[in-house]
Amino acid sequence: MQAYLARRFVLLVPTVFGVTLAAFLMLHLTPGDPVAIMLGEFASKTDVTRLRRDLGLDQPLVMQYVRFVERAARGDLGTSIRSRRAVTAEISDRFPSTIGLTLAAMLLAISVGVPIGVIAATTKHVAVDSAAMAFALLGLSMPTFWSGLLLILFFSLKLGWLPITESEGIRALILPAVALAAPAAAVLARITRSSVLEVLRQEYIRTARSKGLVERLVIYRHAVRNALIPVLTIVGLQFGGLLAGAVIVESVFARPGLGRLAVSAILARDFPMVQGVVLVVAVMYVFVNLSVDLMYGFLDPRIRYQ
Amino acid sequence: MVAWRRLARIVLLGVALLVLFPLPRLYAQPRVGGELVLVSGQEPDTLDAQKTSAAVTGTLMRYLGDTLVTKDLKGNYTAGLAKSWSVSRDGLTWTFQLKDNVKFHDGTRFNAQAVKVSIERAVAPETKSPIAGALFGPVASVQVTGELAVVLKLKEPFSPFLDNLTDPRAMIVSPQAVQQLGDRFGRSPVGTGPFKFQEWRSADRIIFARNPDYQWGPSYVHAGPPYAERLVLRIVPEDASQVAAFERGELSILTAPPTDVKRLQATGKYQLSTFLRKGVGLFLEFNVTREPFSDLRVRRALNYAIEKKSVLAIALEGLGEEAYGPLPPSIWGYWDGITSYAPGYDPAQAKKLLAEAGWRPGEGGVLQKDGKPFAFTIFIAPIDTWRRSAQIVQAQLRAYGIQMDIQTFEFGTLLAKFRAGEQQGGFMGYTYTSPDIVQLWFHSSNIGTGLAFSHYKDPALDKMIEASRTEVDQQKRLAIYRDIQKYIVDKALWVPLWTNTNYVFIQPSVQGAKLHPDGFVVVNDASLR
Repeated sequence: MQAYLARRFVLLVPTVFGVTLAAFLMLHLTPGDPVAIMLGEFASKTDVTRLRRDLGLDQPLVMQYVRFVERAARGDLGTSIRSRRAVTAEISDRFPSTIGLTLAAMLLAISVGVPIGVIAATTKHVAVDSAAMAFALLGLSMPTFWSGLLLILFFSLKLGWLPITESEGIRALILPAVALAAPAAAVLARITRSSVLEVLRQEYIRTARSKGLVERLVIYRHAVRNALIPVLTIVGLQFGGLLAGAVIVESVFARPGLGRLAVSAILARDFPMVQGVVLVVAVMYVFVNLSVDLMYGFLDPRIRYQ
Repeated sequence: MVAWRRLARIVLLGVALLVLFPLPRLYAQPRVGGELVLVSGQEPDTLDAQKTSAAVTGTLMRYLGDTLVTKDLKGNYTAGLAKSWSVSRDGLTWTFQLKDNVKFHDGTRFNAQAVKVSIERAVAPETKSPIAGALFGPVASVQVTGELAVVLKLKEPFSPFLDNLTDPRAMIVSPQAVQQLGDRFGRSPVGTGPFKFQEWRSADRIIFARNPDYQWGPSYVHAGPPYAERLVLRIVPEDASQVAAFERGELSILTAPPTDVKRLQATGKYQLSTFLRKGVGLFLEFNVTREPFSDLRVRRALNYAIEKKSVLAIALEGLGEEAYGPLPPSIWGYWDGITSYAPGYDPAQAKKLLAEAGWRPGEGGVLQKDGKPFAFTIFIAPIDTWRRSAQIVQAQLRAYGIQMDIQTFEFGTLLAKFRAGEQQGGFMGYTYTSPDIVQLWFHSSNIGTGLAFSHYKDPALDKMIEASRTEVDQQKRLAIYRDIQKYIVDKALWVPLWTNTNYVFIQPSVQGAKLHPDGFVVVNDASLR
């Protein structure tokens, strides 16, 4: 296990390097002179030359990349052109809000989606199954933007229960988390259902039943546990989807998160900021997938890490 | 004994009643305290008045800073930080007497030296000021002639100068703070205004606190500090969320999007102030260096072809006015003869001009010239009212056999493309307080750098614009502006479409907030119940 862990961590190195390379090259793949774009139309020649030197753009590409990685490793992602603050400071301001929202939505999606999937797969009533799947279809089809506004209209305006644009505390987290979780919960419900149905057809389920185990134990000890492996994979993938969805939810609920930071940085052509956000989010995603891989072993002891 | 007791009881009862039910209204002073919450869809780029190019920062600086001269609620110039001023006969020497006992938020004293440092910083090339630098642009030198006396020498007579001084971005900044904070000044600005900077939470809110020392307000507000304890700007990108948050009471003041105005009005709950935007809200601007709009007849034809009434009714729900020239009625210098002087809706005239220019109906009714169909693309920004207006214009032109395509770009990109002249035509709108805006839009020196997006070079027009800036006599200036408006309409550089009316809703709990004619809410007298 430890050897495996060590190897996975070593393997992370090229992945993260790939990510830094992609983030770095973004600046150079953009059409036009990035400096001219950053400084706008009124910039003088001296300003352009100075910024080019400050950003190290007058050096060969390889040198620039080495410098970028070297500084990133020291936790220096440069200075935002728009706010003139350190990129890392801006990101760490926004990080908690997005992480809180994403985790809350993930928990919500799992705790709603998985049980619905299990119920749909194991129920004897066609109506329950159909209702569960219709619910899932609804959750999947509603655009987050629209469902967010509907939640606001009902829970904040009609009932007056929850705030709309507050950004701190648990109460402020509920509506955005629900809006963000809905599509993910729907996907998880559908995957869980088909995965449980698949497992229920296996020989060992028949064995469990024929040795006289009560159905509840058959389902929960044997079927669901085994069925959760593909679900876990999807959870890992959904994490990326949630980060992307956060962009919209953060706009609707006016939450100061990474998604909005990225969008406003792109609109303002704030390249260091865009690079920084891309880097942080990508690294986060890499680590989420690593932890998903590690969790397989807890669900299925047969999976050996070698 | 009993009588004493009874009397005591009555007195006690009276006191208790007074405590329980204090005499309301009659003796009520506006209460100090509470939070006024404003909202913006855009986050300020910086709170440095001299470095900003964002409109929202300009609005915030109305509360954080003071200018030398300001405008009262009728739009007349009145004392700001300068208690009086005079101009030499040649218009080159401006002398200001400053108010005494004014302090910056950092405790330093406001004086002539501060004015000098502030203006010199605004015009210094290294400040790279997009707006403030231009406002003080004509200043050749600033001389301190006494502790509270300052003289500005201009390079040439410049009639919009007094108006420029009232712009919030011309506020006087604290020299000490500018020097000590350097680049960080934009995140913790220091001025002399009724509110001082407290906190900026990125993408969330900006908090200003009441300035308890504020005694130097302009004449149109009460003397002394504002009543509200805090002034907060919430940053809420989505219109729909802004409206919902306002209805739930999370915001004090809201400029409502046109789609929600009638509904909010119908609730009858809120105080409402309206004002016509200071600037033309939307116009189709032609690039005269590109086909097919290099032909004046074609440009004029489109002015006759487009019916503005339905554009206004559908895109703005009728909440505004049709536009006919480069200036709206809400800006001084507007010539009211323009509505009849400019081309109105006249399909026959449009077709006639198009035919004269060689565009004749071909296959399927599509206009053709030299075997090429009449097709062009306009560039617009992703703004709801713009998009809807574009679609209506598109449908109207299709009836003439003209194919108009719409391409949307994010605002910064759009400006860059317009400056480079990549467009055949495009949508634009502006907000400004003085008619000097015509210099930015039409003087040929602003082609490729400023806002002269029609790329139209005409020495005669340039000369008129220059005259409008150096003429000191206001009546003569009015005549020059009239001629400029007529000339621009003659050259059909734009199809002006509409100017929107702003609907500002205020919560019933807010008392005494006033709308300034320059389009912001004066909050010095506002108190919260």
